[in-house]
Amino acid sequence: MPPLILTHLAPHALAPFALAQLIEPGSFTDSTTPSLLDAVLPSVLNWMLFLPALAGAICFLPGVSRASARALALLTTLGSFALSLVIAFDYYFNQNASGVAAVTLKPWIESIHANYHVGVDGLNLPLVLLTTSLSVLVVLAAWRIEKATQAFMGLFLFLLTGMLGVFVALDLFLFYLFFEVSLLPMYFLIGIWGGPRKEYAAIKFFLYTLAGSICLLFVMLGLYCLTPAGTANHVNTWQLVDSGEQDSLISESVRALFAGPSTGLHGPTPAGPYWLHAQAFFLLTLVAFLIKLPAVPFHTWLPDAHVEAPTPISMILAGVLLKMGGYGLMRVTYPLFPDAARHFWLPVATLGVVAILYGGFCALAQTDWKKLVAYSSVSHMGYVTLGLAVLTRTGFDGAYFQMIAHGITSALMFFLVGVVYDRAHHRDINRLGGLWLKFPGLGGWSLLAFCAGMGLPGLCGFVGELLVIFGTFEANGQLPGTIPGSAGSGGFMGAATILGLFASLGVVITAGYTLWMFQRVFMGPERPEAAGYAPITAREYGIMAALGMAAVLFGLVPLLVFRLTDPTFYALASVLGLN
Amino acid sequence: MTLELETIKWIPWLPALAAVVGGVCCMRKSMRNLAAPACILSILAGFIITLGVQSKVTVDSPRVFKAFTWIHIENFAVDFSFYVDPLTIIMLTVITGVGTLVAWYASGYMKGDRGYARFFAAVSLFIFAMTILVMADNLFLLYLGWEGVGLCSYLLIGFYYNKPAAVAAAKKAFIVNRIGDLFFALGIFLTYSHFHTVSLAEVLRSAGDLNTNLHAGGQGVFDLGAAPSVVVIPFLLMLGAFGKSAQLPLYMWLPDAMEGPTPVSALIHAATMVTAGVYLIARLLPLFALSPYALPIVAAVGGATALFAATIALCQCDIKRIFAYSTISQLGYMFMGVGAVSTAGPTVSATGAIYHLFTHAFFKALLFLTAGSVMHSLAGQLDLRKMSGLSKKMPITSVLMLIGCLALAGFPFTSGFFSKDLILADVVEMGRSNSPFATLYSVLGIVGVATAFLTAFYTFRLWFRVFTGPEQYEMGSDGHGHEEEGHDAGKAGHEQAHAPKSGETASAAIAVEHHHEPHEVSFVLMNLPLIFLAIGALGAGLWESKFGWIHHGIETSSAFLGYIPKTASDAGEAHDIHFTMQLISGSIAIVGIALAAWFHWLNRPAGERVARAFSGLVKVLNNKYYVDELNDALIVRPLRTLADVLFVFDSLIIDGIVQLVGFLPRALGMSLRPSQQGELQGYGLGMAFGAAFVLIVVLWSLNLVAMH
Repeated sequence: MPPLILTHLAPHALAPFALAQLIEPGSFTDSTTPSLLDAVLPSVLNWMLFLPALAGAICFLPGVSRASARALALLTTLGSFALSLVIAFDYYFNQNASGVAAVTLKPWIESIHANYHVGVDGLNLPLVLLTTSLSVLVVLAAWRIEKATQAFMGLFLFLLTGMLGVFVALDLFLFYLFFEVSLLPMYFLIGIWGGPRKEYAAIKFFLYTLAGSICLLFVMLGLYCLTPAGTANHVNTWQLVDSGEQDSLISESVRALFAGPSTGLHGPTPAGPYWLHAQAFFLLTLVAFLIKLPAVPFHTWLPDAHVEAPTPISMILAGVLLKMGGYGLMRVTYPLFPDAARHFWLPVATLGVVAILYGGFCALAQTDWKKLVAYSSVSHMGYVTLGLAVLTRTGFDGAYFQMIAHGITSALMFFLVGVVYDRAHHRDINRLGGLWLKFPGLGGWSLLAFCAGMGLPGLCGFVGELLVIFGTFEANGQLPGTIPGSAGSGGFMGAATILGLFASLGVVITAGYTLWMFQRVFMGPERPEAAGYAPITAREYGIMAALGMAAVLFGLVPLLVFRLTDPTFYALASVLGLN
Repeated sequence: MTLELETIKWIPWLPALAAVVGGVCCMRKSMRNLAAPACILSILAGFIITLGVQSKVTVDSPRVFKAFTWIHIENFAVDFSFYVDPLTIIMLTVITGVGTLVAWYASGYMKGDRGYARFFAAVSLFIFAMTILVMADNLFLLYLGWEGVGLCSYLLIGFYYNKPAAVAAAKKAFIVNRIGDLFFALGIFLTYSHFHTVSLAEVLRSAGDLNTNLHAGGQGVFDLGAAPSVVVIPFLLMLGAFGKSAQLPLYMWLPDAMEGPTPVSALIHAATMVTAGVYLIARLLPLFALSPYALPIVAAVGGATALFAATIALCQCDIKRIFAYSTISQLGYMFMGVGAVSTAGPTVSATGAIYHLFTHAFFKALLFLTAGSVMHSLAGQLDLRKMSGLSKKMPITSVLMLIGCLALAGFPFTSGFFSKDLILADVVEMGRSNSPFATLYSVLGIVGVATAFLTAFYTFRLWFRVFTGPEQYEMGSDGHGHEEEGHDAGKAGHEQAHAPKSGETASAAIAVEHHHEPHEVSFVLMNLPLIFLAIGALGAGLWESKFGWIHHGIETSSAFLGYIPKTASDAGEAHDIHFTMQLISGSIAIVGIALAAWFHWLNRPAGERVARAFSGLVKVLNNKYYVDELNDALIVRPLRTLADVLFVFDSLIIDGIVQLVGFLPRALGMSLRPSQQGELQGYGLGMAFGAAFVLIVVLWSLNLVAMH
């Protein structure tokens, strides 16, 4: 059981500061005995995962009214959120049982060794929480959708199961299945409830992601065929987490198959038998996940999808679906092929930096508000690519936190765009203006959202960017391809430093387009047509407040995330040989 | 009264709380008037705590107090914790002291504005960020405060956000600052990668050790083969400081920032935020000493800015902009002062700069606020050419502004006189030392004296123009700068503001008349806090020269590089220089004032003749050397164009390739489509060909098998 919080508060001279003790790592280190909760956790996880699909199916039954579909969706997402919180609390306070928790491992399709293997660890738990919490807000944001409400809610709930499944699956086959399953509902949600060019955007999204999935499928089959030599029982495997060693992500011997040549302390080691395969597989999975992320040059589906998608779908698309790309890199690509990652670090990191700057410049050129936010997503996700590519612990933590932070801020930004669009019926930045006068509250929350997006310290956007850039500078001299003669902590003009310098330029561009947009939309004299705009409802303010306060909370207390991720990242760092 | 030193960690949180209260007040109309008292009281509480703890500070400083863990991962940890030493206390005194007075004044000045609560929420947030900035124990927390004050500055410059000029100015301020901040952040990254920590205490200690080694070894820092990156750190940090403190080349945002409400100009853009750059260098002096070139460059940039801005101030006609350029110029003095500290020279602390920062906060806040009073009573009029001889109408304001002007001009025995003199003496002393940059410092000494003359002249040009001569004025167009309100709200608020001033002389012209007639402002709400500021502007110098509070404080802080012993003869010589500089700067101030009196009070036609004679120069100065236009043509437009080009590239090339890839399967399908035209004969023909082909293959392979 999670220990009662209050009894653990250290008596402290200044009580408010004592709250901070709560989040100190190691303040709750007592529970070593397996608890009753541990026994039911796997079923809690399974309920959390399939409850939405179940409810989604009910939504499609004949005779379900709009109101009941809404209520059912809200209750289901709340229930799923509550269940994920139970898992998270247990994980947060019982860190000694690190590694993977709430595991269900059942044989599924035995002929191909595919298992039903789900569980949480530090790598997926924060994203699970992001998904479940955001889905509650998305249902609220979709409250006023009148066109086939039942179908909308049903599809959204299917989508939720798909997304959660991607995160909690610990078997590559299952992962792939969920990865595909999440595609279809999204296709319909954009294609039916979208804007004027919805069919085009939906099919583009679908085909683009499908192209990535094929890359992934190819790698899956290859892996399956090659693994017997590396597993203990000499059988093919899809396992993403080695069930034998709790704190290692995948078994050492499987990884050894794909190892590259190295010059270690004990003399040079030859490459593993499948080193060439490893390089190809790395690149293929990289493309699969970079499309999802999306990274330049695979990003052009994103602006179209966002512009056409209805507001709640944009929120979930930016908030969660993009994270499946980053998560896939951290769960599949990097742990499986660390040596290939090291081999290709420079081009990948360059892609990240290009995305940061290129996305920023494209955002600067937009007049469609939603497209601007979409390009800003491209720019922000560039930090994820960069943070992973430089292979430092700081960079990894930064990339991960950037995903969480972007999940919060981008969802909020897209919601704000939607709130304005519902009233103005257009998104042309040049034709908006003076909204702060009309809606002071909206202006205030928007300011907070865009400041968080700009990476202002104290808000959530800062931490990720900071750590990523930091990690990049740290990588200097540690990776191949750094300019010779400048190795070591003293050298300062290695490739990593140059990349870091360019990445930091991103902060100025971000400030540029954010302020330009904020000025055009919210400042300036009030427009006459704004007189007819409906007031902002309590429901809308509630969604803004929830996301806005999350942006502040995670900016001030990023430890809420890092405490969950720390043990798993520790293991990951040793697997990857992070610096 | 003494308080436990630990109480000091409450100082930032009280204004933070007030900011939250203010935020709630913005949304609830009924609570609107709560925002101002919450703001004032929270800052005042900070001031009281600062005074209460200050006797405890020198005993064992620096002390570090941890509030909570902020970012903590495997090999990187940053806490929310506070670093307290006398320099912190001096800064806190300025921030909370001036802050309280300005907020008090603003509670009257802003009355009746629709954004009343928003204003105080933002001011509270600003004080929070500013106190974090000066109390930060590590460079990242400092950066948090640094960006936070930038944001508040943005919000408050753009306070009248339906005025396009205000919005543009706010954006400009933020982006120019962001450019500086980028370098600052890079400086922090480099500091971390070299010292493996961002904690101030540790960084300063390591940098100090490095310096001592260098000094002992007697080698130039560029010979530091092992760590060339270290010498870059001060230059990066310096650029950050230049941005925040509006020095060349990042100064152009500050004059535009005057679009904000006047109390904001006084608090943020004169007394506190813009001095953050000076604080940064003073605080990190050991880091800046890592490169022998860093501090001389700081001093040179400071001197150049001081002179440059002073020349622009000569020909401006907007009262607030004159003060803005004057602020840039005075900040230049501070940078000169902080740069006149050298590992090779005789002076070893940033006392002069911090001293000037302290006194400048008082007199410049006073000047801005009295300008605000003039603006308030002339319905937003700020043009020097449209007012004259107002001293009869506004006697208290005219005396208060006179005090501020005297201090700014460095009139003998005012506070500005003492602090400016200390900087000049430091610079001249450096010029006479055996430092390799002695010539530079000598030139800077001359620049400093010339600027002092210009300062006296432009300051009194303004004062004589506004308050002496024939009484004439033209009312401004808006309700006391409260543009967003429209006149009604402004008027209502104004009457309210006038309610408690019954004892005042000029109050005869009651509010009914106020749109047509200048008048004295409310005493309790607006003039009383100014009197406190005036006392500071007049007396701070005398007080400091008697007690040496700042002097002793700095010597026990990180702004002190105390490793060069002074000999007795050095000390005596220093005293001589000091006295000489006092004589020179005192008399030059009087000459400047006298000239201004001649051209702008006693014989105005002469002044106009001089202006006509140099009309070309006046035009250039009037247009601020055309820097804004250059900036637009060389930076803003090219970047915009780049963005447009990249977007075209994105939609045509990158998306084009995607479309092409999408088109290929369709093209393939189309090329095969004729074979599926749906006619039976066609299919039959195809089938026959296929069967024949299969038959041939089968027979051929059977034949092959039979042959073996």
